[in-house]
Amino acid sequence: MKFELRCWALVSVAALTMSMPVGYAYSETASDKLASPDSFASIASPEERSVAYFVELGKVLTHPRCVNCHPAGDRPRQGDEGRLHQPPVARGADGHGLAAMRCSSCHQNANFDPGRVPGHPEWHLAPREMAWEGKTLGEICAQIKDRERNGGRSLEDLVHHIGTDTLVGWAWLPGPGRRPAPGTQKQAGALVGAWVKSGAACPN
Amino acid sequence: MTTLAITINGRAHGPTDVSDDLTLNDFLREYLGMTGTKFGCGAAQCLSCAVIVDNADGTSFTSPTCVVSAAGFKGKSIRTVEGHAKDGKLSALQTAFIEKFAFQCGYCTAGFLNEGQVLLERLALRPVARHDLEKAIAEALDGHLCRCTGYIKYHEAVRDVILADPKRYLA
Repeated sequence: MKFELRCWALVSVAALTMSMPVGYAYSETASDKLASPDSFASIASPEERSVAYFVELGKVLTHPRCVNCHPAGDRPRQGDEGRLHQPPVARGADGHGLAAMRCSSCHQNANFDPGRVPGHPEWHLAPREMAWEGKTLGEICAQIKDRERNGGRSLEDLVHHIGTDTLVGWAWLPGPGRRPAPGTQKQAGALVGAWVKSGAACPN
Repeated sequence: MTTLAITINGRAHGPTDVSDDLTLNDFLREYLGMTGTKFGCGAAQCLSCAVIVDNADGTSFTSPTCVVSAAGFKGKSIRTVEGHAKDGKLSALQTAFIEKFAFQCGYCTAGFLNEGQVLLERLALRPVARHDLEKAIAEALDGHLCRCTGYIKYHEAVRDVILADPKRYLA
């Protein structure tokens, strides 16, 4: 009974929040954990269960570690409040920066904590059509299912992208001074997998 | 620790054991005494510390040195302000900076010089039309801060070098 109550509470909270646009006023009380797909087994309706998976995954997708590099404009954002990137940089033609200021000019292969600069060999912005900033969770859901707006990925590709891509994985290993995305990448991958298998339903 | 071997201005340095916490700026200034590369804001905001990084394919770009690790440059080739003059003769860009009185205190000059040189090399590979030149210069120098406000003079100096050799730099 308690378990069912918990699941329905999750869905209820989700119903209240999933129509809100992605912003940057992050609640300090927000969970840093991710529920496993098993946690939603008591939801009888396959579609509602699928939505619940995605809403849980939404904790990751709407997290500053993810949204900051899926901006609506041409400049990445920084910090939990999503301030514009300093120094001022722009996405450039390929998402790796302008000719005179490539992302790799500062972002090396790994985090460099003395300089407070995060790093990864492929550090770059998500393409403009993959912007999440300012969108509701339902809008993001529709977007990441759309090959025109998800980098040409199939649903199965999304499982690998979110669950195993090392640049995505940086969100869970951001270094000192940056709050990691909730849960683990493996858990996020499991949620995407469960969501895809259950029909990839989206919140309204 | 990382054993760092790096080429600077065409000369091999190292191998030297360096801490993984060491910035490239500290490596140049404190280990090698190459103080032409300045330390300004320490946050990649002013780019007074920028050096040129040479890619294997012959292209180049600038990188701030204050927020990046020296160890990350293992095996790479960079150029600093000390490498521009050859045999005691200033480069065309250095000469243009002087002729335009581009700098006053000079703290930002090494960064501007390196950025301007990278622009020249980029234009030599991919020339731009004359009507796109001002934008190309502005975009290249954008981000470099000059507290003495020498921006226009730097811009004009770079432009002078390019216009002096239009077949090389302009489409």
